[in-house]
Amino acid sequence: MQIFEYNGSALVAMVGKNCFAIASDRRLGVQLQTIATDFQRISKIHDRLFLGLSGLATDAQTLYQRLVFRHKLYQLREERDMKPETFANLVSAILYEKRFGPYFCQPVIAGLGDEDKPFICTMDSIGAKELAKDFVVAGTASESLYGACESMFKEDMEPEELFETVSQALLSSVDRDCLSGWGGHVYVVTPTEVKERILKGRMD
Amino acid sequence: MSRRYDSRTTIFSPEGRLYQVEYAMEAIGNAGSAIGLLSKDAVVLVGEKKVTSKLLQTSTSTEKMYKIDDHVACAVAGIMSDANILINTARVQAQRYTFAYQEPMPVEQLVQSLCDTKQGYTQFGGLRPFGVSFLFAGWDKNYGFQLYMSDPSGNYSGWKAAAIGANNQAAQSMLKQDYKDDITREEAVQLALKVLSKTMDSTSLTSEKLELAEVFLTPSGSVKYQVCSPESLSKLLLKFGVTQPATEAS
Repeated sequence: MQIFEYNGSALVAMVGKNCFAIASDRRLGVQLQTIATDFQRISKIHDRLFLGLSGLATDAQTLYQRLVFRHKLYQLREERDMKPETFANLVSAILYEKRFGPYFCQPVIAGLGDEDKPFICTMDSIGAKELAKDFVVAGTASESLYGACESMFKEDMEPEELFETVSQALLSSVDRDCLSGWGGHVYVVTPTEVKERILKGRMD
Repeated sequence: MSRRYDSRTTIFSPEGRLYQVEYAMEAIGNAGSAIGLLSKDAVVLVGEKKVTSKLLQTSTSTEKMYKIDDHVACAVAGIMSDANILINTARVQAQRYTFAYQEPMPVEQLVQSLCDTKQGYTQFGGLRPFGVSFLFAGWDKNYGFQLYMSDPSGNYSGWKAAAIGANNQAAQSMLKQDYKDDITREEAVQLALKVLSKTMDSTSLTSEKLELAEVFLTPSGSVKYQVCSPESLSKLLLKFGVTQPATEAS
């Protein structure tokens, strides 16, 4: 039994023109059995920063709760929200603390930094950051996602086109993965608004 | 006679008093005052800024009011450095609770937890007590809006209206006369500003010398802590007829 494939997940984040999109599947399973079809894998840290956590669901929940703890204290002390780059460093540090007994999660971080510049990154379960200019993927469907994103991605897409691209990449990739799917959850974030949309795909 | 019993925090005097704790309260009696008022739909906190100088670098941070968590805030009176330590402790305690129970920490439990910390400094360790009094204002789903006052001894109690810092006796008796149980949020702000203006011993009352903060429920039902901006505060002072113009150089 592979621990990273116990619950099943698919996550992707993509950069557009002054905006970003972060999307996930909605399945929560226990190996071959599907338990929930409305599982939230992406959480908001603040209005311009989103975190998606793939991998073992219990570790994803605990890690998220710990990050909220740290971010809340940061907000109270510094009287401002955390920048995405700073948050990514925090996540990396927290994951590395557990170097010899890690959280079985792969996070995807997406946010708008200074001057509304989109920032995305992913890291492995012990905090090795991977900054990308175009897209990042995570989860059991990551190999399909890499292929789909690589072929569908274009630079400087507007929010509407970005939404279409991310949705098509996500749905086509999870269709090839039995452990993820049951629809999609897409957030498209611009400096002025956050658009949250649910996708209906193959419900299997 | 008190000489032999007042230099260590951890011993009682023959009369049964803890002198160090009482001396801490003396220190607070010289600090800028703060008043808290509980109304039907909000808790109002007003503070007097003692440190006003043209040379002070202006910043958006507040001097008297601090947010502890989304649903709890406090006003301080006393030694600011001691207050900073306790505020940080309170913030961490609130987050630890939320981490464990995934819901906001009830206000009284937060106050109690902080007071337990303060009490520790009056019983063991040989360290002096914190020279700070707090007014905690918050909302939780069990008891609604609440106001608590705590002092260096680690005692706390819930109040409908309370005052700490300089001239707190005078402020407290004024509040006792004028406070009504079903006071509204605007009336509470008005009463707080009126009482503070009477007990402050500065000749001119401007929005630079005051801080006003409220804990209330937004129309969508979530708790919000908001500090009044200096512009709105000036307008309120004018509206309630509480501004005293700066005395002209004679």
